[in-house]
Amino acid sequence: MSADRSRLYLLVPDALDRLAEAGAVGGLVPALSWEEGTTAFQVRDTFDQEIRHSGRLLIETETQIEVLGAEGRSLAQPGVSAARFVAEFAKGPVTSALSDLSPLRCLLPVGAGVLRRGVLALLDDEAKTQARALLLDLCVTEGGAAIVVQLQGLRGYDKALLRLRGMVEAAGGTAFGEQPLYAGLFPGQPDYRPKPQVPIGHDTEAFDAASDIIAAYLPVARANETGVIADHDTEFLHDYRIALRKIRSVLSLFRDVYDTALTDELKTRFSALMVPTGRLRDLDVYLLERERFYGMVPDSLHPGLDRMFALFAEERAAAQKSLAEHLRSPAYRKEITALVKLFGSGRKSGRRKLARGDKAALPAYDFACRLIWKRYRKICAIAEGIDAETPDHEVHELRIHCKKLRYLMEFFAPLFPEAPFKRLIKPLKKLQDNLGLFNDCSVQQDSLQQVLGRLDGATPGDLQAAQSVGALIVVLHGRQLEERARVVGSFAAFNSAATRETFRDLFHGGKE
Amino acid sequence: MKIIACYSNKGGVGKTATTVNLAYAMAQAGRRVLLCDLDPQGASGFYFRVKPSKKLTETRFFEDVARFAGAIRGSDYDDLDVLPANMTFRDFDVFLARMRNSRSRLKKALKAVKSDYDVVLLDCPPNISTLSENVFRASDAIVVPVIPTTLSQRTFEQLRDFFRAHDLKEKKLHGFFSMAQGVKSLHGETMDEMRREHGKRLMTATVPFASEIERMGVHRAPVLATAPSSPASAAYRTLHDELVTRVFGK
Ligand SMILES: Nc1ncnc2c1ncn2[C@@H]1O[C@H](COP(=O)(O)OP(=O)(O)OP(=O)(O)O)[C@@H](O)[C@H]1O
Ligand SMILES: [Mg+2]
Repeated sequence: MSADRSRLYLLVPDALDRLAEAGAVGGLVPALSWEEGTTAFQVRDTFDQEIRHSGRLLIETETQIEVLGAEGRSLAQPGVSAARFVAEFAKGPVTSALSDLSPLRCLLPVGAGVLRRGVLALLDDEAKTQARALLLDLCVTEGGAAIVVQLQGLRGYDKALLRLRGMVEAAGGTAFGEQPLYAGLFPGQPDYRPKPQVPIGHDTEAFDAASDIIAAYLPVARANETGVIADHDTEFLHDYRIALRKIRSVLSLFRDVYDTALTDELKTRFSALMVPTGRLRDLDVYLLERERFYGMVPDSLHPGLDRMFALFAEERAAAQKSLAEHLRSPAYRKEITALVKLFGSGRKSGRRKLARGDKAALPAYDFACRLIWKRYRKICAIAEGIDAETPDHEVHELRIHCKKLRYLMEFFAPLFPEAPFKRLIKPLKKLQDNLGLFNDCSVQQDSLQQVLGRLDGATPGDLQAAQSVGALIVVLHGRQLEERARVVGSFAAFNSAATRETFRDLFHGGKE
Repeated sequence: MKIIACYSNKGGVGKTATTVNLAYAMAQAGRRVLLCDLDPQGASGFYFRVKPSKKLTETRFFEDVARFAGAIRGSDYDDLDVLPANMTFRDFDVFLARMRNSRSRLKKALKAVKSDYDVVLLDCPPNISTLSENVFRASDAIVVPVIPTTLSQRTFEQLRDFFRAHDLKEKKLHGFFSMAQGVKSLHGETMDEMRREHGKRLMTATVPFASEIERMGVHRAPVLATAPSSPASAAYRTLHDELVTRVFGK
């Protein structure tokens, strides 16, 4: 059955009954039949709702897994899936249809209910089916209901299929998609997005822009707390940290929007929130990159890595436990609630009480141009001086400025035309990738040095581990040099004549 | 792709009943099946409620892929399509000759219309003796229903002789007892005798005489679909399994 012969629609139950009772159309009689009984099902999605946002629905019953809406149709494969990650699913069409999901995200229950399957057929005068629609009646416990209609054409009966499609559309069938489906089945389900779009107007006060961004990212951090505590997957902590880091960068980048003393105080408070998360994230990264580390050293050194990773896993369990305790603690709850309240824009919120700085009233557009232009000039100044002799710390500095530029551009994106903006972001990303790898290699060497320091030469397993760690450091050092050698070229690729012109046009009135 | 013909030079032995149920069983087992109704009477098309299609002129049958594909109809069952009767005797002969000479072209034609069938089943009309050689050469297997009577016994022997005389592969012949009535001792005796004589050319599966099969004309559907738990259905399933092992291997 080719994709153009099958198409998915959504119908409200009443519409289906009316459709079935409509009587003969063009010599074809609609016939509706339902299977006996119902089947329990559950719907799962990743926490950031990748399945939902791509207009699909993952349905699991006791006997099969089905994904609706992949390329406009439905795919199924037998088997129950106790697996938490798609990567752990058995091979099949559903598994490959879901291969676009982040491999790091686990599937979490969205809701459950009962389903019933049926068929709406168009029969000719000999009671031969000429076209049919497979029906899936979904009824969510404490949720909504919907009927998914999948048209199925039979070879040689194209006219009947067109007729059936016309009937479904006339009955109010809407194209299967995120909006009607999730809103209908799971009303009240929050629409979580790890990267909230914060609307900023040309003349929005810099103070409000900063406060709005912070106010938008605080709930992102909060939304991830439960997942960090439950340890569903590593992305909860990652997103939690990114949200806090963005807030911190607003505080440091939007200089003089808040009063200096307040800025310092807030920076300290948000940094304090980050501190207990660092070690767990480092360990997560090691464990996620396990394969890569094994690939870096010869097989003979793998037993040493086994030992090292066993130590990491042990330490991770402890770090996770203590972070979970921290997030559950009354002190943390009190602090985060206070911060949320501080930046809220409601009438009873604290925003109006925040001490304003010299630049608070500046229009967002002027403020953005000034900040982005300054940061870009700084990057050019550093980059132009970089050659093979430049010390590493200057390369690190370049990386940090690029990161800040990227944050600024992302925060202020709504103020600038989309197309030229994207043309800048793309090469900037590439440059950042290069600098990021350079940095990762160097950070990992440092932390592996620390691992070495903690190993005890007298313990036999530790000696083996130390050899492997030593080898890893050597390899990482080599990689770092390679990345380092690419920086000059990466910057040149980023800072093309076109890039320079776009930066001038967008942020400096076209002037040098 | 395998081509399997259901053939007998005797009429009314159960060729169509067999083709219809084998096609259904194969599709159920996950094979993509095209049933070609070569009987101008359109008997197997009748069982699938597919109306005979307009005549295809023989000369363009394979040249014109779109017309060929356009004549195919989806049955009510997944993976089972029907090419309804649309040929005269003369066309039929041309069809087979072309099939024989250009199996790769048939395959290509089917591929071009995204119908990569695993099996093409031919429901042959009776009395095609002059054309039969083409059927035998074109097919990978010839399924022959044999009613266990003395007359049928002779017919099967003639068929075997024909294969020998024309240098056809005897191994392609897969006979089985059709409409067998256990109570009739004559049936039993004939079956024993024929098994001794023809050995592996006869499959062990036997389709009994069953009223459910007779009633297929009323239900207009394979007995496997309307009475799946009947002994007749069990017999067709066994026949399917045995034939599939013979044709496709384990
Ligand atoms: N095993 C059976 N038991 C009872 N009746 C049967 C059985 N097989 C076939 N029939 C019936 O016998 C009649 C002839 O069967 P069928 O049409 O399958 O034979 P055929 O060989 O295709 O005939 P033809 O030579 O006319 O094409 C049909 O009415 C059919 O329902
Ligand atoms: Mg027949």
